[in-house]
Amino acid sequence: MLVIRPIQDSDLEDLYVMAQGAGKGLTSLPANRELLAKKIRRATESFNQRSAPEAGMYLFALEDTVLKKCVGISGIEARVGLEEVFYNYRLSTTVNASRELGVHVRTPTLNLNNDMTDTTEICSLLLSDTHRKGGNGLLLSRSRFMYLDDFGRHFSEKVFAEMRGVSDANGQSPLWDALGRRFFDMEFSEADYLSGVGNKSFIAELMPKFPIYLPLLPADARAVIGCVHDNTAPALRMLQAEGFNFNGQVDIFDGGPVVEAFIHNVRTVRESLNRHVLISRKSVDLDVPSEERVMVSNRSFRDFRVTTLPMHCINPDTVSVPAEVAEALQVTSGDVVRLAPLKDGGHSPIQSMASRSA
Amino acid sequence: MWVVRPAQQEDLSDIVELASVLSARVSSTVPKDKGKLAEKIDYSKRSLAGDQDVKGTERMLFVLVNTATGKVQGTAGIDARAGNGQPFYNYRQDALIHASHELKVSRRVEVLYPSHALTDRTLLCSLMIAPELRGTDAFELLSRSRLLFVARQRAMFANSMVVEVQGVQTESGSVPFWDSLGRHFFNMDFATADSYSGMLSKTFIAELMPPNPIYVDLLSEAAQAALGQPHDLARKTFELLEREGFQSGAYVDIFDGGPVLEARTDMLKTIVSSLRKTVRSEEDVDGDSYLAGAGEGLHFRCGLVTLDEGLDETVKMTRANQKLLACAQGDELLVAPL
Repeated sequence: MLVIRPIQDSDLEDLYVMAQGAGKGLTSLPANRELLAKKIRRATESFNQRSAPEAGMYLFALEDTVLKKCVGISGIEARVGLEEVFYNYRLSTTVNASRELGVHVRTPTLNLNNDMTDTTEICSLLLSDTHRKGGNGLLLSRSRFMYLDDFGRHFSEKVFAEMRGVSDANGQSPLWDALGRRFFDMEFSEADYLSGVGNKSFIAELMPKFPIYLPLLPADARAVIGCVHDNTAPALRMLQAEGFNFNGQVDIFDGGPVVEAFIHNVRTVRESLNRHVLISRKSVDLDVPSEERVMVSNRSFRDFRVTTLPMHCINPDTVSVPAEVAEALQVTSGDVVRLAPLKDGGHSPIQSMASRSA
Repeated sequence: MWVVRPAQQEDLSDIVELASVLSARVSSTVPKDKGKLAEKIDYSKRSLAGDQDVKGTERMLFVLVNTATGKVQGTAGIDARAGNGQPFYNYRQDALIHASHELKVSRRVEVLYPSHALTDRTLLCSLMIAPELRGTDAFELLSRSRLLFVARQRAMFANSMVVEVQGVQTESGSVPFWDSLGRHFFNMDFATADSYSGMLSKTFIAELMPPNPIYVDLLSEAAQAALGQPHDLARKTFELLEREGFQSGAYVDIFDGGPVLEARTDMLKTIVSSLRKTVRSEEDVDGDSYLAGAGEGLHFRCGLVTLDEGLDETVKMTRANQKLLACAQGDELLVAPL
């Protein structure tokens, strides 16, 4: 069984191995034990409400209960830009027009801004190569939306994700080479690493503050603004299916897009419903295709658990939960759990269930 | 002999011919269009005549005349107030240090800021000369005669002066600075923008340029190399102005990136070294060649003449030269060494 739960100190080694495998793309999780340990501590404090709500950083582990191993993680940053300044470029338009000259020229322009400050970010998604199948990535990513909605007062109404921008096989980013590098004599990979270890705002402060007129940049740099790395394209599609859209902000280093959505509009949240748990003694074949499964969350802030069940377990008022699943979710009969389809597309039985019960 | 005098409507065809002869871009403050040029000459005449309507925004145009043929071989202008009542646009060359103690880095970033700081200074402009005269005494006469005019009618002018020197242009006529910057915002080549600049006003065009500072590092290499550099054909002008006491470096033209020179009016060599003398007629004058300016307003004449120092602040001058400078014995003359 695969279960989402808050990260623990004991996950450090698994996390380190995953971070090593992820390579340079994952800025927020550098393969550095000390930093990872610090992140785990911060997450633990957040789950235990020992830190201020706005300083919250939540990391969820995907545990393979058979292997007793953490095989993936995902995260939520409650509010960005409070401890250090959060920078983006906004892709906007400057128009130069003159009726007398018959001139009407639109110039795409990058404006440095801190617009995302105080907004909740979903981040740090990482899944071990061995488990990239059967909707595990969806579970890792989408379980967060249930958490964000159930504990909305800890988060902003709007949620965003920064998508990794384009870089080549050698880790060279066309935008960095054309822009950042001219102001900051450093390789993209190094700047990216420094960002990951918490120096992003230092670097951002060295970046140009005045608007950048895109025609002044070379074509290959212009072409990647707002585009994602090939490896990130599936993640982008997944978020788009949830209702996330490009909001015009891009990363100041690699030009990767920022996508955002209001949490109440996110598909997982809209298509979810609550049911009382009914522990079932019948054994259930849990191994069904991902489109026939639903996510089940125990709705606990501190001991958040999510796993999946076949859709046929859903009854008009209850959900039948096999004993071992109930144990993993730390729920008993009568507890209220939240259900949401794991996969998007097609007719969701949950929807018909919801309309029937309405 | 060469004489500089205020432009007249009769000079119109000579000036247009001169403009067409010059293959390189003609300074945009001399309109190529006959109608516009006629207006400019008219405005100059009104300015020199002390017309109250143009007070404060006087614009003068002088011509270099070959006295033997009567042909105009050059032009030179003065705008009493740069911008002529409108903002006068330039880029100010500045630098920012992007530094971080934490990361132990420090980097100098060159920036061009749009600026109006030079508005209302006195502007030397519209310099145009027949190619064969470039670098000769006639060229020096044409350029410096304006300063003698300023010295004569000092109250009309500001305490500091500026000159825009034409920037770098390739053989094929393209302007690297424009191609790397302005072109993106206008979608037209330099020649087209320049002709609009002449037809409407430079301010009109400048106002369409982006209002934000420009990072020099983002310009093309050719544009960066051209920044603050004079056109090859304007190098003589540039050097002459530097000898006169003008300094470049702080400002550049927003279109072609050419240097904008600045000086304190009262520190300029011609003005500092000019002396007021009284004309005394002499049949035969044996002396040195001087830059001599006579008359005021529409009667201003300036020439290179042989003078000999006399007693009591007088200079000896032949009657023939007096005729050329439209002066007579007893008139005041402003004299500066060549």
